[in-house]
Amino acid sequence: MRAWRRVVAVARKDLLLEWRGRDALIPAGSFGLAVLLVLGLVSGGGWEAAPPALWVSLLLAAVVAAGRGADREGEEGTLEALLLYPGSREDLFWGRWLAVCVLLLLLGAGLWGVQVLLFNAPTRGVGVLVLAGLLSAFGLAAVGTLLAALLTHVRAGPLLMPLLFLPATVPVLLAGVRLSEAAASGAPAGPWWGVLAVFDLLFLLVGPALFEVVVEA
Amino acid sequence: MRPFAVGATAALLSVGLFLALWVSPPDSYQGEYVRILYVHVPAALAAYGAAAVACGASALYLWRRDLRWDFVGRAGAELAALFSGLTLLTGMLWGKPVWGVWWAWDARLVTTAVLFLLYVGCLLVRDLADDPERGRRLSAAVAVLAFLDVPVVHYSVVWFRTLHQGPSISLQGVKLAPEFLLPLAVNTLAYLALLGVLLAERARLASLEVER
Repeated sequence: MRAWRRVVAVARKDLLLEWRGRDALIPAGSFGLAVLLVLGLVSGGGWEAAPPALWVSLLLAAVVAAGRGADREGEEGTLEALLLYPGSREDLFWGRWLAVCVLLLLLGAGLWGVQVLLFNAPTRGVGVLVLAGLLSAFGLAAVGTLLAALLTHVRAGPLLMPLLFLPATVPVLLAGVRLSEAAASGAPAGPWWGVLAVFDLLFLLVGPALFEVVVEA
Repeated sequence: MRPFAVGATAALLSVGLFLALWVSPPDSYQGEYVRILYVHVPAALAAYGAAAVACGASALYLWRRDLRWDFVGRAGAELAALFSGLTLLTGMLWGKPVWGVWWAWDARLVTTAVLFLLYVGCLLVRDLADDPERGRRLSAAVAVLAFLDVPVVHYSVVWFRTLHQGPSISLQGVKLAPEFLLPLAVNTLAYLALLGVLLAERARLASLEVER
């Protein structure tokens, strides 16, 4: 089987399980919603508080969503079966990554919509936001996929996930906040596209390489 | 070699302490608090050095699977957490009297905190993994990831906002009076020597633990 077909097969399997069980998107989305609500409450809910609230809620929701696929495989012991199939383990990474990307984009779109309503946020610059969302999803999914696989065989793995995920993804949080502000005000984006691009490049290169080491039996 | 290295490091540390406490004059702006910096700056450099050693040794372990690299990587990760914690602590002790705040949302502070958290995570992954071999592999992966991520974190926070004074010593020249430079240089040397000795001792201890 060609590499891309293995990638699509793994992504399709993850998304199909998600569609049937909805055990990542609904808990992660509800959690993101709760974070958005709490942040809106304590910040007074003005529109200028909207970008930080949106990106913090997205990042926290991503912690929950990214861990779920690996949890499922840990619980059912299906990772071992997947590893037995012939072909490169990198394809497994890319398949999982693709599925997490789709989940993150859905989460981001949903949280963005709710944030517009809750914070009375401006809806200008949607093009900038879509591009920022895409680039962030690529990087976050790479970190999430790698860490989820890493923590599958670690006790208290779900507790360590945020400890490693949140500090590592600070650049995405800062870039996302500044790009959202730039989109709303029409101001120049400064170095933030570069930050996202470098972050993505780094984790899309290092992610698959470390993933292979991490999933070794 | 070992007694010599330990002795030389102890001597350097004593000279450094003497220079910092008695020879260095108080700073015109920071007063006596400048003495904290003779621990703070060397500890920060030692933390970054330890993180670099942890990353390099971990990458070599993942590549060659030679246990000796794991011992060094483990020592590096522990010392990166220790020295970055010490950097944060001394920085806060210095920041309160001089800046008026314990903490500021400055790039170097946040970067050091991120470094500290990622290496704490690295050590936890090793201890909490299902079996020791997996722990070695997983924590090596985290050590590599953490070290590569930290520069990106640093620059993103620099651009977000910054307060920390610019570097006093750079390729453009030294903006530091000689009476402050000497204690700083000796203490930096002493802390790097301490890092080397602790790395070697910790790696040796790890190898003895495996032999037992």
